[in-house]
Amino acid sequence: MILEQLAGNLLQGVVLGTVYGMATMGLSLIFGVLKVVNVGHGAFIMVGAFTSFAVFEYLGLSPVFAIPVAFGIGMALGMIFYYSSIRRLLKGPELASLLATFSFGVILEEGIKFLFTSDFRGFNWDLGKIDMGFTVLPYAKVAACLGSVAIAVLLYLWFNKTRAGMAMRSVVEDGVGARVCGVNVDWMYALSFSLGIGLTVASGVLLTMFVSVGIHPYMGGEYTLKAFVVAVLGGLASPYGAFFGGLVFGLLENGSYTLFAQIPGLEPFAMTRFFSFLILLLILLLRPTGLLKAK
Amino acid sequence: MSLLRVENVTKRFGGLVAVDNVTVEISHGEMMAIVGPNGAGKTTLFNLINGVFFPDEGKIWFEDVDVTHYPAYKRAHLGIGRTFQISRPFASATVQENIAIGAMFGAAGNEIRVDQAMEMADHYIRIIGLSSHRDKLAGGLTPIEKKMMEIARALAMKPRLLLMDEAMAGMNPKDIDKMVDFIKRIRDEEGIAIVALVEHIMRAVAGLAERVLVMHQGAKLVDEPTKAALSDPRVIEVYLGVPPGEADA
Amino acid sequence: MKGASRYLPSIPVLLAYAALFGFGLLNPGKWQLVAQLAFYCALGQAFNLFMGMTGYVDFGYVAFLGIGTYGMAISISGLADKGLGLGVIGIGLILSVVFAVLLALAVGAVALRLRGAYFAIATIGVNEGFRYLIEGARIWNGSEGIIFSSHLRELVGREAAMSLSTFWADVMVFGVAVIATVLTIGYMRSKIGYALAALRMDEDAAKVMGINVTRFKIIAFITSAALAGLLGATAWAVKLTYVYPADVFGIHYTVEAIIIVLLGGAGTLLGPIVGGLIYGVSKYYLAVYLPGFQLLVFAPVIVAVIVLFPEGTVGMIKRKLLGTALEKYIL
Repeated sequence: MILEQLAGNLLQGVVLGTVYGMATMGLSLIFGVLKVVNVGHGAFIMVGAFTSFAVFEYLGLSPVFAIPVAFGIGMALGMIFYYSSIRRLLKGPELASLLATFSFGVILEEGIKFLFTSDFRGFNWDLGKIDMGFTVLPYAKVAACLGSVAIAVLLYLWFNKTRAGMAMRSVVEDGVGARVCGVNVDWMYALSFSLGIGLTVASGVLLTMFVSVGIHPYMGGEYTLKAFVVAVLGGLASPYGAFFGGLVFGLLENGSYTLFAQIPGLEPFAMTRFFSFLILLLILLLRPTGLLKAK
Repeated sequence: MSLLRVENVTKRFGGLVAVDNVTVEISHGEMMAIVGPNGAGKTTLFNLINGVFFPDEGKIWFEDVDVTHYPAYKRAHLGIGRTFQISRPFASATVQENIAIGAMFGAAGNEIRVDQAMEMADHYIRIIGLSSHRDKLAGGLTPIEKKMMEIARALAMKPRLLLMDEAMAGMNPKDIDKMVDFIKRIRDEEGIAIVALVEHIMRAVAGLAERVLVMHQGAKLVDEPTKAALSDPRVIEVYLGVPPGEADA
Repeated sequence: MKGASRYLPSIPVLLAYAALFGFGLLNPGKWQLVAQLAFYCALGQAFNLFMGMTGYVDFGYVAFLGIGTYGMAISISGLADKGLGLGVIGIGLILSVVFAVLLALAVGAVALRLRGAYFAIATIGVNEGFRYLIEGARIWNGSEGIIFSSHLRELVGREAAMSLSTFWADVMVFGVAVIATVLTIGYMRSKIGYALAALRMDEDAAKVMGINVTRFKIIAFITSAALAGLLGATAWAVKLTYVYPADVFGIHYTVEAIIIVLLGGAGTLLGPIVGGLIYGVSKYYLAVYLPGFQLLVFAPVIVAVIVLFPEGTVGMIKRKLLGTALEKYIL
C-alpha cells in the first residue's frame, strides 16, 4: 500500500516537475545570457494561461494550438521590453533591471485585469484519464508533460544545431570574444531575452493543460516564487539545469503536500507553499550555485 | 617583527595557477616594487594581501597577526591600504567625501568623527593639490585626478602598508618623476611601507624601489635589491632584453 | 559642515508634514486623504532607509508591515481585559517592533549574505512565505485572522475606541513619519550614512576602505523593518481593528513603496515625501476615472523613471541646486 502510494507520488511529481522545469527555462536563459533576473516572471506565465483560455473560449481550439500563439506573443513582448528599456539598463546597477522587470510584470497584471477583469477564468479540456492502478493520470497532464519535454528537446537542438543558437552560447561564454568573431551581441541579447520570454509565455499554456482552472491576473505571483526555487535548484544560469531543478521541485512539492496532509492541524496547501519558500532559502544559504556541479 | 609576511601562498582559478607558492617579506617603511609581464600574477597577489580573495594554500601575516582569512575590511583596520589599477572612486560623492570615507573607516577610524574626517580630508586634498576640486563629484574628475584622489583616500586610512596598483600607468616621464618624488615624500612623512605594482615602467622602479620582486607565471622569479634585480640576466630574459632607464610608458 | 546646520534639511520635511497635518485639521472632510498621504510618505521613508540607502531591493518588504499589524492585534486582543487602558497600545507598538526586528533578523541572516540579484530572489517570497506559514500552521487563527474591535472597545470604552480608529491612529502615523525623518537624517549625517552610500556606489571598494558592509546592511535592514512594523501597527491595526493574512501580506504595498521611493528620489531625505504626495494625490484622483488601475498608470511611469530619471525628482532638484544657497536645505 505504502509502496503504491509512493510510486503514485513519484509519477505525479515527475509529470508536474517537467512542466515546472519548462516554465523556468526562460528565466534561466535570460539570466545566463544577459545576467538579468526577470522578477516579473510569473506574470508572463499568466499571459500564457490567458492566451490558452482565450484560444479555447473564443476560437474553440485546444490548448495545443495556443502554444505557438503564446510563443509568438512572448517573443513580441520580449522585443518590446528589451528595446524600450532593458537594453539601456544592462550597464547600470542591478537594481535598475530588477525593478524594470518587476514593473513589466505589474504592467501585464494590470493590463490583463483591464481586459479580462479580475474574475477567475477556466475551461474544461477533459481528454479522459489513464487508470494505472496505483494512481490516476489525466491525459491532459500527460500532454502537458510531453509538450514540455518536446520544447526542451527543440531548445537543445536549437542551441547546438543552428547558427543563431550557437552564437547565443558564444555570447554566454565570452561576450567580447563573440563580438570579435562577428556576432552582433546586441541582437543576440534581444533574441535571447525574447526567446526566454517566449518560452515563459508558452509554458503558461502548458500549465493550463495541467490545471485548466483558476486563471486570473494575479496567479503569476505563486509561479514566480516556484520558478526561482526551480532555477536556483538547477543553477540559475542553465536552462537544462532548470529542467532538472523542475523535476526535483515537482517531487518535493508533491511529496510535501502528501506529508503535510497526514499531519492534523496543518493546512497542506498553505504549508506546501511555505515549504517551497523554505527550500529556496536553504539552497541560497547552502548551495547558491545549484545542486548540479558547475556548468 | 616584519610588517607583512606572505608564506607559500598559492591561488588557483579553475585550472589556472595565478599565484604559485610565493613567499615574500616586507619590513616597516620599506619601498618595494613588484614587476612582471602581463598575467604574472601581480594583481592577484595584491588581492590576496588585501583580502579580496583568500589563498588556497599558505599563510599571510601582518605584524604577526594571521590575517589569512580576515575579510578585506578587517585588514584595512589593521593598516593595509590599496589603490586600484582602474580607479574606483565613489562617483556620486565629492572629492572631500571620498577621502573622508577613507579616514572614517580606516585604521584610525574608530576615534574619528565625521567632522574630523572632513578636516583630515582637507589636509590630504592640499597634499595632492586638488584643493580646487574639493566639492566636485568624484565621477567628473579626469583619470589622473581620480588616481591622485584614490591615493589621498588610501592615505587617509592611515595605513602602515600601502599597495599601489599601477599608479603610474599612462603617465609621461615628467609626471612619473613627480609621482616618484611624491611617493617618497609620503613614505618619509607618514612612515608607510609602500609596495608598488609597476609593470614595465623601469624609470619608476629605479627611482622608487629599494627592492624588487619579479614575478613570472605566478611564481617568484627574483627578490633582490633594485640594482641587482635590474641587471639580473633572468629578469632581462623575462622582459626580452629591455634594459633599465630606456623603457618608458 | 558643523553643528546644527547639518540638520537643516529636516526643516522642509517637517514643514511638509506640519502643513499636511494642518490642512487635515482645517478640512475634516479631507482627513482620510490626508491620512492616506501621510501613510504613503511614511511608507516611502521607511522603505527608503533600506532600498534607497543600500541599493538593495527587498521585494518581500510588506511582510514587516504585516507582522507589525499582528503585533498590535495580539496585544489588543490578548490584553483587553487586564485593565491597562491605553497602555496596551504602547505594548502593541513595542511588540510590533519586536516582531518586525525578529523577522528581519531571520530573513536577513540568509538574504543579507547574498549580493544584488540573489538578495532580490531570496526576499521575493518572504511576504507570501510568511503568510502561508500563518495560514498553514494556523498561527494566530490562521486564515481567519483576528478581529479585535470589540476588544478595543472593552479596553478604552466605545468613544475612545472610535476616536482612536478614526483619528489618533492617523496621528500616530504622522508620529512614525517624524521618527523616520529623524532616523534618516541621523543616519545620513553620521558614519552609518557614509558607509551605506559607499556600499551602494561600489560594495567591493567599500570593503577595501574598511567598511564592514554586512554590519551596515543589517543596521539599515532592521531599522527599515522596525518602521514598517510601526506603520502596520498604527495605520492598519489600530485603524481597522482587524487583520487577515491575505490582506496584510499583499505584494502591491511593496509595489507602491517602490513607486514612491523611485518617483521621489531614492536615497534622498525629501524624496519619499515628494513621491508619497505625488503618488497619493494621483491615486486619489485616478480613482475617479480608473478606479483600481492606478498601478497600470504608474508601472510604466516607473520604467520611464528608471531609464530616464533614475535619480528621481529630488535627485534632479539637488543637482540643479548644487552651488546655490538652497543646497543645504535639500538632502
